[in-house]
Amino acid sequence: MTAVTDPTSIPAAHPQRKTPKGTFDLIFRNASFLSALFVLLLLAGIMLSMVIGGWPAFREMGIGFVTGSQWDTQQDVYGAWPAIAGTLSTAFLALLIGVPLSLGIAVYLTQLAPLWFKQPVSTAIELLAAVPSIIYGMWGLFVFVPLFAAYVQTPLSNIVEGMPIIGTILSSRSPSGLGILTAGIILAFMIIPFIASIVRDMLDQIPSVLRESAYGIGATTWEVVRHVLVPQAGVSIIGACMLGLGRALGETMAVTFVVGNANRLSASIMDPGSTIASRIANEFNEAIGLQLNALIALGCILFFVTFVVLVIARILVARVKAF
Amino acid sequence: MLSTLELSPQTLDVDAPVRIKVKNLDFYYGEHKALKNINLDFRDRHVTALIGPSGCGKSTLLRIFNRIYSLYPEQKATGEVMLDGRNVISNDVDVNELRSRIGMVFQKPTPFPMSIYDNVAFGIRLYEKPPKSELDDRVEGALRRAALWDEVKDKLKTSGMGLSGGQQQRLCIARTIAQKPEVILFDEPTSALDPISTGKIEDLLEQLKTDFTIVIVTHNMQQAARISQYTAFMYLGEVIEFAPTNTIFMNPSKKQTQDYVTGRFG
Repeated sequence: MTAVTDPTSIPAAHPQRKTPKGTFDLIFRNASFLSALFVLLLLAGIMLSMVIGGWPAFREMGIGFVTGSQWDTQQDVYGAWPAIAGTLSTAFLALLIGVPLSLGIAVYLTQLAPLWFKQPVSTAIELLAAVPSIIYGMWGLFVFVPLFAAYVQTPLSNIVEGMPIIGTILSSRSPSGLGILTAGIILAFMIIPFIASIVRDMLDQIPSVLRESAYGIGATTWEVVRHVLVPQAGVSIIGACMLGLGRALGETMAVTFVVGNANRLSASIMDPGSTIASRIANEFNEAIGLQLNALIALGCILFFVTFVVLVIARILVARVKAF
Repeated sequence: MLSTLELSPQTLDVDAPVRIKVKNLDFYYGEHKALKNINLDFRDRHVTALIGPSGCGKSTLLRIFNRIYSLYPEQKATGEVMLDGRNVISNDVDVNELRSRIGMVFQKPTPFPMSIYDNVAFGIRLYEKPPKSELDDRVEGALRRAALWDEVKDKLKTSGMGLSGGQQQRLCIARTIAQKPEVILFDEPTSALDPISTGKIEDLLEQLKTDFTIVIVTHNMQQAARISQYTAFMYLGEVIEFAPTNTIFMNPSKKQTQDYVTGRFG
């Protein structure tokens, strides 16, 4: 009939590909490979330079660098134990305070909050997560620390003085407000927005039919949350806590403000101490020679601790998933 | 057309007492009125099917009986749903206790993140503290009634999430009947299952009606015809026709019902 049914007109409707060669594809493939390789090189580079930089300190001090508690720049004796203990204890306190609060926030927002209250709190959490750490540090030092010293540390010291164990852990030699517990509390404030918002998202993603069926057999809100929702989101909750722990271990600025920066080790969490990150931040400016090596070695240890935390998190997640 | 539906000989006890009596029931999603003046009687130890096209309000009606809707503050019901002389939608009803007496099985299997044993024991433990041996017996009894015992008896301590879809749904049924409810609500319980699993669940329903009053929402008209004694046809938030199942499918009195059950719309 006409050109419409003419078979020769078909190629016009299906133009040939311009460049059937794979040149672009090859470039694209290699470029993305190099991007991925870059991450590995970066990690290896940082690790290597940390180890090389810190090596003299490890060599001079031996195992004493980790176990020793003297940090004397005059005599070039460096023991990192107070800083390691401070890092671990502030991070632990931060989790101890932050995780229950975060879970409470997430559960309330997803299960109980009326709509008019849910939105402002959710926004506040997002904003808190965006506050720079130096603001937390300043606020902690100028506002929180004096209040904490006057209304918590001083009365508490008077109460627990002389008590066995509790007295040792909670009494402060000089109630300045600065110390390990203060740093732990400020760190808790900093990790709460992260943990709470991740856990909230995870609880929101649980299909409503699961929640309804738990309520449907007559469980109370507490029973639904405790036995069904939290175990269902278990893996992600552990993941969120580990993310918070990672931040608490490495946090520098805010901690340096409020931890007190004491080089000695105290049995009381009310006394000033230091963390690895705060020690580095305090001394890096003037460090030379072996002191600089010692600081880099400290960084190495922090790197290692964070890595171990990551591995433990992976193992925990794998175990929970297996059930 | 109608002959393609296999109607099982249904034993109808017209003297059976009314277990749930719905009177002048309205339901609102916010401003939207989803159910209009519903009046229905659900007879004791009978299966009543709610059928109708999507959005007709049949699931909404089901969710009123155990007050699941009250999890959502914007949803509201007015009228009467009488169970044992009490209006279950009044505010002074203890909803947790009500839900332990009116069990519900959902569209999708919803095993809880715990072992098979604990899934079944969970509901019992909420209200009773039976000794271990009695709890074991009740868990076994519920799993047997749900026709799941033989498949899981060697792995009671493993996670309920590891079962197949059909097994999970029977686990949910076991969990529900372990609480010894009076009424069980089924919200399209087989819509996510394959035909063989569906057949097992239907056989199960047949046996459960000797002990429980059953209300089932279904999209599948053959299923309604096979397993129910009473059927309510709903459309746009109203009950168009409510009658014994044989009447609804063989001799409906309304044109809309006839059109729906013969597949002319819906």
